Amino acid sequence: MSFLRNISSGLRSLFRKEQVDRELDEELRAYQEMATDEKMKQGMSRKEALRAVRLEQGSPELTRQVLWSERWESLVEMCWQDLRFGLRMLRKSPGFTLVAVLTLALGVGVNTSIFSAFDSVALKPLPVKDAHDVVRLQRWFASGAMGDVQYDFSYPEYLYYRSQNHAFLGLIAASWPGQALATAPSGSETGSTAPHELLPLQCQLVSENYFSVLGIRMEFGQAFAGGEERAPVSNPVIVLSYPYWRGQLNGDREVIGKTLEVNGTSLTVIGVAPEDFIGTGNPPEVPDFWAPLEMQTKLEPQNDWLHEPSNQPLQIVGRLAPATSIDQAQAETEVLIRRFEQDHVEKDQTIGLTLHRATYFGVTDELWFRAFAAGLMAVVSLVLLVACVNLANMSLARGASRTKEIAMRLALGAGRGRLVRQLLTESMLLALMGGLAGLLFSLWATRLEWIGLVRLIHVLLGSRILVAPLTVDIRVLLYTLVVSLVSGVLFGLWPALQSSKASVSDALKAEGSGYGQPPSQSRFRSFLVGGQVAVSMVLLISAGLVLRGVAKAQGAKPGFETRSVFHLSFSLGNDPGKATILKRQIMARLQTLPEISEVALANRLPYAGTSTRPLLVEGNHATAKGVPHETLINYVSPTFFAALSIPVVRGRNFTPQEADANIPVAIVSEATARNAWPGEDPVGKRLKLDLRFDGKWKEFEVVGVARDVRFTNISRVDPAYVYLPGDPSQSNGLLIRSARSPRDTVAAIRTSLESFDRSLLPTLGFLSLDNFMHSQEFVPQAAAILTAILAFLAVALGAVGLYGVMAYVVTQRTREVGIRLALGASKSDVLRLLVRQGMLPVIGGAGCGLVLSAAVSGVLHAVLVSPGMPDLLFGVSSFDPAVYAGLTALLAGVGLLACAVPARRAMRVDPMIALRYE
Amino acid sequence: MPDKSSDLVQGTLDMLVLKTLALEPMHGHGISVRIEQMSKGVFRPNAGSLFLAIQRLQRDGLIDGEWKPTENNRRAKYYVLTQKGRKRLNSETQEWGRQAAAIARILEAS
Repeated sequence: MSFLRNISSGLRSLFRKEQVDRELDEELRAYQEMATDEKMKQGMSRKEALRAVRLEQGSPELTRQVLWSERWESLVEMCWQDLRFGLRMLRKSPGFTLVAVLTLALGVGVNTSIFSAFDSVALKPLPVKDAHDVVRLQRWFASGAMGDVQYDFSYPEYLYYRSQNHAFLGLIAASWPGQALATAPSGSETGSTAPHELLPLQCQLVSENYFSVLGIRMEFGQAFAGGEERAPVSNPVIVLSYPYWRGQLNGDREVIGKTLEVNGTSLTVIGVAPEDFIGTGNPPEVPDFWAPLEMQTKLEPQNDWLHEPSNQPLQIVGRLAPATSIDQAQAETEVLIRRFEQDHVEKDQTIGLTLHRATYFGVTDELWFRAFAAGLMAVVSLVLLVACVNLANMSLARGASRTKEIAMRLALGAGRGRLVRQLLTESMLLALMGGLAGLLFSLWATRLEWIGLVRLIHVLLGSRILVAPLTVDIRVLLYTLVVSLVSGVLFGLWPALQSSKASVSDALKAEGSGYGQPPSQSRFRSFLVGGQVAVSMVLLISAGLVLRGVAKAQGAKPGFETRSVFHLSFSLGNDPGKATILKRQIMARLQTLPEISEVALANRLPYAGTSTRPLLVEGNHATAKGVPHETLINYVSPTFFAALSIPVVRGRNFTPQEADANIPVAIVSEATARNAWPGEDPVGKRLKLDLRFDGKWKEFEVVGVARDVRFTNISRVDPAYVYLPGDPSQSNGLLIRSARSPRDTVAAIRTSLESFDRSLLPTLGFLSLDNFMHSQEFVPQAAAILTAILAFLAVALGAVGLYGVMAYVVTQRTREVGIRLALGASKSDVLRLLVRQGMLPVIGGAGCGLVLSAAVSGVLHAVLVSPGMPDLLFGVSSFDPAVYAGLTALLAGVGLLACAVPARRAMRVDPMIALRYE
Repeated sequence: MPDKSSDLVQGTLDMLVLKTLALEPMHGHGISVRIEQMSKGVFRPNAGSLFLAIQRLQRDGLIDGEWKPTENNRRAKYYVLTQKGRKRLNSETQEWGRQAAAIARILEAS
């Protein structure tokens, strides 16, 4: 009760200050009057009485002040005063304020945009109801295999968990996105597409409780009800995704009830998902439509992978039952998986299971993602640091110019803490203004950076990613606020402490601060300048290297034929033995076609994923430096090299017998041969590969050497590549070499296959290898965008900061300059002196920056050890002298300008005026 | 001449003011006079600390103030003890008694 009274009375004295003061005055005066009266009664004259009373009472002003300072509202009023004073001071120096706010906006803005991207990817929960209850299942294999395969479960497994569990309110299964060739819904105006044209659509097969467990309400129509799974034949239904509906069907409102034709089956559209539902992710792709699992055979007539127990095509996501913790659910699911495995033989045993909260990017706990994210955050934090250092410098300089004012206040009795608090308020004001500007800036920049980032991730992940809707949510706002405040303290505290140390006598003695400054202060400032130059240097050099690499990328050639080579894919059913036979027959048929010159098999396609295996090289140099310990492998048919025009430069090609009989021979790439057996003939040598990651090495004899190509990444020649003879069972479709146009070629193939087996036709996929290369174009684009932004920031911040500081320092020395000129020094002498002293920290910083850059390059280089990693530098040496020299010169030039311009301005001042300058 | 009134500990002055007001509602000056009277001249609170005490007591809800005309037809703020104030006075008096007795015991020890 008294607390409330306290608050209300305090508020009253804050807002009705005058009234409260008047009342107090009145009371004091009344007191005074009565005391006077009393004294007069005792015999004094009025005048004497009044005087005596006044002596006793003390000054009413003092009383009022003491009363005021006792209460809490004085603190509030002081803060308010500080704010207003701070604003006024900032308004007085608009140049400083503008530069500071811009600098901070850049620094904070970049941080915020990276964070919001990270937030969208890793932190934001799935766009479903009560997302914190939704978890994804991940299994761990005895073989230690990691990656996407950890999220694979079979349909029988799913059914088992679903029926046996108690920990989940609902379990849903979703297939990996697949492609279906479909005709557009009948009767709709699609505009761009002609009727009956087959379009590849992304579809995802999901359990019928998918939408209900996730709590998604359809935008139009309805979701799957229970019945579809039981009666798939009679009632094939699908749900469209919003982007597809909006984009390809132009938002046709009459779409419910229309049908899509896939593989001869009509699928009825029963609903459209809401705009913000983009699927359950992993991979983060939005399918064009969802279909119930039981319709799998309708969509892919050749295969029945749903009931194949060894096939694991589904991801399982579950919603925790109320009051069940994630650990409880995990424990139960582990028990279930063990029980299941007792009855079913697994080729790779599952040794563990974990549940983790489902995010849109399922793989956020993988090492490379974490490293990538950490690296990115580190870089932008560096940028922010540069900004803060800049500002600290400028604040210090500004503080030094207010020495007199501060000294005066100290002399009048202000406590040091009070001054520090007031100076810090100014910094905080700047920080908050900068933070706000930064937030606005990031809203705009995030779009741009996201595109660059998405492309980069696309390449690393190798899958098609749709831009997830980037919204600014509370997390991002909080982050911005925190970053702003931290920056404010960072760049404000030290200058505030420094400035408030002003010695009273020195300041009042009208000495130019050129003399009065304690050496430690100017040394610290030089140190700050140097540090800033160093950081700018690192950023610049990294950017320069990447941009140089991008330039080089323009001319990068894969080294093998891509235009006349096509990838033919089709579905041959579940039985692997039968499929192999079919494939051989198809190969034989196609080989006879006049349009086709070569038909080849390959397990790995260019720019579409990697297979890396540990490698052991036999020979004297087995343990020498430079010998590869890991290599990329590919199972290929003997016709592979001819089809892709990769010449076998030494030794010989595989024979068809070797391919069929799985004989342990190998063909290595030139680079592999060079590194493994330098100076020796690799033909006849032996190497060992651990094909199953189980420590069992299989020995191979090298029979040939193939020319080096850029098969895995356009950015670098494959550092180590071993080709192994492969049979049709290991291949991924067929590679067709044809000199004719794609249309002619595919027509010929269709005709040929039609007479062979009609049912293959709907599943045919035909793509030129050129298409595969497109994904590689994004790397330079993404790199260019990102690094251009960073480099610009680095230079801008560095230059601005340098200029600000130098300008201030030179201005402070105007008096000194005047004296020197008056004593007879020539203008150029003085100019040289100023510039030389100003450039000293710049040179020092540049030197440190070079060393740092070298270190960073070394780290980046270490990443390239894995043969499958793309080289962001496109082969540019990380110690490229042109880049280093050029950029050092650039930064030095900028520094020189920053020193020279203010110095020249000082020169032009008349010495007489300079002498009198204070 | 500065008066040689003994320095009153802050809390003690509060207590005395409460006691004074317990006897009858009064304005600031009246309280000062009454305290001087009751203490037979030992305590003479100066205006500053007295007003501080009054404001504090008012803030804490122990006394209530009201503007009223005085005998001489002037306006003064009369203060009155609240229920809370009465309770506080009792507890403070008890506490003071305990402390005083304890000190006396110590001083008399030989």
